[in-house]
Amino acid sequence: MALLEVRDLQTHFFTREGVVKAVDGVSFTLEKGKTLGIVGESGCGKSVTALSIMGLIPKPPAKIVGGEVLFEGRDLTKLSERQLEDVRGKEIAMIFQDPMTSLNPTLKIGTQITEVIRRHYGVGKDEARKRAVGLLDEVHIPNAAGRLDDYPHRFSGGMRQRVMIAIALSCNPKLLIADEPTTALDVTVQAQVLDLLDELRHSHDMSMIIITHDMGVVAEAADDIIVMYAGQFVEQATTLDLFDHPEHPYTEALLGALPQIEGEGIREGRLTAIPGRPPDLIDPPVACRFGPRCPYANRKDSCTTTMPELREIRPGHLVRSAHPTSERAEVREEVPV
Amino acid sequence: MAVSPKDTRVRAATLAGPVGQAGTAGEALRQASLWRDAWYRYVRNKGAVIAGVVFVLLVLYCYLIPGFWKIPGIWTSLADIDPYAVEFADARQGMSLAHPLGTDRFGRDMLARTALGGQVSIQIGFAATLVILVIGIAYGSISGFVGGMVDNAMMRFLDALYGLPYLPFAIITLAIIGTINIWTMTIALSIASWFTTARIVRGQIISLKENDYVRAAKAVGARWHRILLRHLLPNTLGVLIIAVFLELPGVVLGEAFLSFIGLGISPPEASWGAMAQDGRAVYRVQPLLIVIPSVAIAMLVLCANFIADGMRDALDPRTRET
Amino acid sequence: MTKFVVRRIFWTIPVILLVILLTFVMMRQIEGNPFRTGERAVPESIQANLERKYGLNDPAYVQYFNYVKGVFTFDLGPSLVLRQRDVNDIVKEHFPESAELGGLAFLFAMAFGIPLGMIAALKANTPIDYSAMFFSNIGFAVPSFLVATLAIYYFALTWDVGVPTSGWTTWQSKILPVVSLGLGPMAYFARLTRGTMLETMQADYIRTARAKGLRWRRIVFTHTLRNSLIPVVTAAGPLLGFLITGSFVIEQIFAIPGIGRYFVSAVTGRDYSVVMGLTVLLSVIVILANMVVDILYGVLDPRTRDARA
Repeated sequence: MALLEVRDLQTHFFTREGVVKAVDGVSFTLEKGKTLGIVGESGCGKSVTALSIMGLIPKPPAKIVGGEVLFEGRDLTKLSERQLEDVRGKEIAMIFQDPMTSLNPTLKIGTQITEVIRRHYGVGKDEARKRAVGLLDEVHIPNAAGRLDDYPHRFSGGMRQRVMIAIALSCNPKLLIADEPTTALDVTVQAQVLDLLDELRHSHDMSMIIITHDMGVVAEAADDIIVMYAGQFVEQATTLDLFDHPEHPYTEALLGALPQIEGEGIREGRLTAIPGRPPDLIDPPVACRFGPRCPYANRKDSCTTTMPELREIRPGHLVRSAHPTSERAEVREEVPV
Repeated sequence: MAVSPKDTRVRAATLAGPVGQAGTAGEALRQASLWRDAWYRYVRNKGAVIAGVVFVLLVLYCYLIPGFWKIPGIWTSLADIDPYAVEFADARQGMSLAHPLGTDRFGRDMLARTALGGQVSIQIGFAATLVILVIGIAYGSISGFVGGMVDNAMMRFLDALYGLPYLPFAIITLAIIGTINIWTMTIALSIASWFTTARIVRGQIISLKENDYVRAAKAVGARWHRILLRHLLPNTLGVLIIAVFLELPGVVLGEAFLSFIGLGISPPEASWGAMAQDGRAVYRVQPLLIVIPSVAIAMLVLCANFIADGMRDALDPRTRET
Repeated sequence: MTKFVVRRIFWTIPVILLVILLTFVMMRQIEGNPFRTGERAVPESIQANLERKYGLNDPAYVQYFNYVKGVFTFDLGPSLVLRQRDVNDIVKEHFPESAELGGLAFLFAMAFGIPLGMIAALKANTPIDYSAMFFSNIGFAVPSFLVATLAIYYFALTWDVGVPTSGWTTWQSKILPVVSLGLGPMAYFARLTRGTMLETMQADYIRTARAKGLRWRRIVFTHTLRNSLIPVVTAAGPLLGFLITGSFVIEQIFAIPGIGRYFVSAVTGRDYSVVMGLTVLLSVIVILANMVVDILYGVLDPRTRDARA
């Protein structure tokens, strides 16, 4: 049985301007021990997907209107809030993008770690503190014991993120969801954090979901990748397969937008940007959502009138497009900026 | 940043964006839409709209009723009646057709008196608020703009002023001036309450001082007073408008309290507070006499608060989706 | 931490001195001499003696200096009008009542206002929230003299619930004045608490707390409330000033023998020392209250402790 199986998840936001269909039919499977990367541009729904898994979406405006989230066979969407509280932190943990604001500024770091441990394990203060020190050591924070009584503002950004990771690991979760874990950090620190996550993943035997807009991050960290666009997922493949043979025009464009410093087949000249903007999610188009920006769509294609189906173009490689790369005969044009 | 002098001046001239908005020296079109955007948000807030309407109606009532009453001929306005000529026969009546809000101890019509009283209260309220703004802006912008030791000293001084409690300060000021009329009351109340506004303005100036468009203006060689007047102050406009509606209740209530303990403006130029004090003596017999002016005060204060809340929501950069 | 506290205490001294100076200067501006405005004109020679006795002939700075010395030794000088009494006596007799009134009103406001605000925030946008906020808006806007008068009218007279209409003796007699005075601040606290809690609940670290699987109660009380109370505490300081000034009116209505009444008559009677003494006293209290608030703020928000260093 897969660790996590998301089936046709739909999360909508009910606002005064209308219903925003932030996540509109996302499905994927995560096997134990693997790392899944979810990529897409801002606003495509990747964070909302993660929050929906944990049941952390803001309940008044947002609601999971359809689909299932099966964690070890249990459908999380059907659990009560109290039951979810037992799952969060213990079975599934999450770390967030901005370590500055994600930690409570008025509580000591030690408290913020021990409270999770005590909550899920019920151990006493001293035992919890001991474990907390151990965790800080694991995330390579020097002088762990002394730092327990410090407040978050005494730590640098990278260290704060490590603290967040320590908190997330404290109860040995089976799944760690990392929402843009490196976006707010300096480049050098980014590498350290990714290495740390990798190391910990192995030592704790955890599965991971990494959400990011940075293709470089997933290239390094993920085993499989899902590409999301406008609330749907449009391509899924293993990392190698995705980078070597991207199928969806959007994925191609994303990869085309990466600057390359060295390597074979290096492209000279300007970076290719994707013209246009993502569609409005209140009233998304019935047809392929990438259509208006797709360099291959022309008016007579079926994808301009109906939503392309998700199909398995190769074993393990799904794509939602009427013009996947392998089926395209013509030479790819360089889209001018 | 390659900025031509003409560009900066044109853009600077159209600057008047609300609170905290980062220094996007936008074109005139974008500028209008920021205020219009705030207006739309304000209008969507039902409570704030109602409050605004009621507020305007209240003010209109106070200033128009005494005049209007001469027209129908059924009621006569207070201006017609000699304030010292009393009709004891009519005294202390409840609501009736001839006197919709009853009469006071001297038989004077309450509807007219409340309107006139409102004129006094509102006048003091707005005048004092204006004075508060002037002093507060002056003090706050100098302190914030100059910074350094001057700022420090000015703030310490302000701390000391904060220590003087509101009413006693106002009372002492009145005692110094000697007489108690609308103007002296205005001065006394405003002198005792400008501190918060000064602090707000200083805070704004300090946070805006480092913005890029200020640097751009400096780079072009703009003089400091120009920067202050043309760039910084317009951006604090939003906060200031809100401050107006927040100070107004304080002043009106302050005046009411002072009148109530006997230090108000002497009749016949009574304000709502003075009327309430009048009414207190006979509240057991005719509660209207204290209830009506107090309710009037409460309405004014409530409306001002709601308006201030509505404006704050409308102008708050955090909740705005730019 | 102690350095922070000490520094705060240290800085209040010049502020107090400044306040005394301001009051002193202001008082000097009030024209008129207490001895001349009496009904019985005091003969010149006696007047001169009195002036000398009370030091009214000394140069200003000498008077100021003496006064400051007096303040710090808790000697506020004699009353100039009520010949037999010292300002200290007046204060001792009447200040406790005012202090009790203000203190109780303050506690009332916090004890009822903060929970009200919390409930409104936790049940935001529900009828509970709307009614709570409606009620506090009214409480905030209606002037306390109306509240007091209506309260007396209904509770003491019409419905006769067992509370007297005036006085400050039994615990029953204290209910109405405290509630009348504290209603406004209570409403203010409720609104403020609601606002800050709603704002705090949007914060990222609350999301983190939820992601940790913490129980809702813990999130509310430990995480949200702690952070929300910071602005509320800061507002508490100036509120004390409001209570002091509001008490003048309440004291009049309920015939409470506090210092409010003395203040007004002292001003009109040109009783310098009483006015000054009372003003200085009140100011010192306000300043001290602000200092306490500042220190509390440092306790609650660890960031400020280091920032000042």
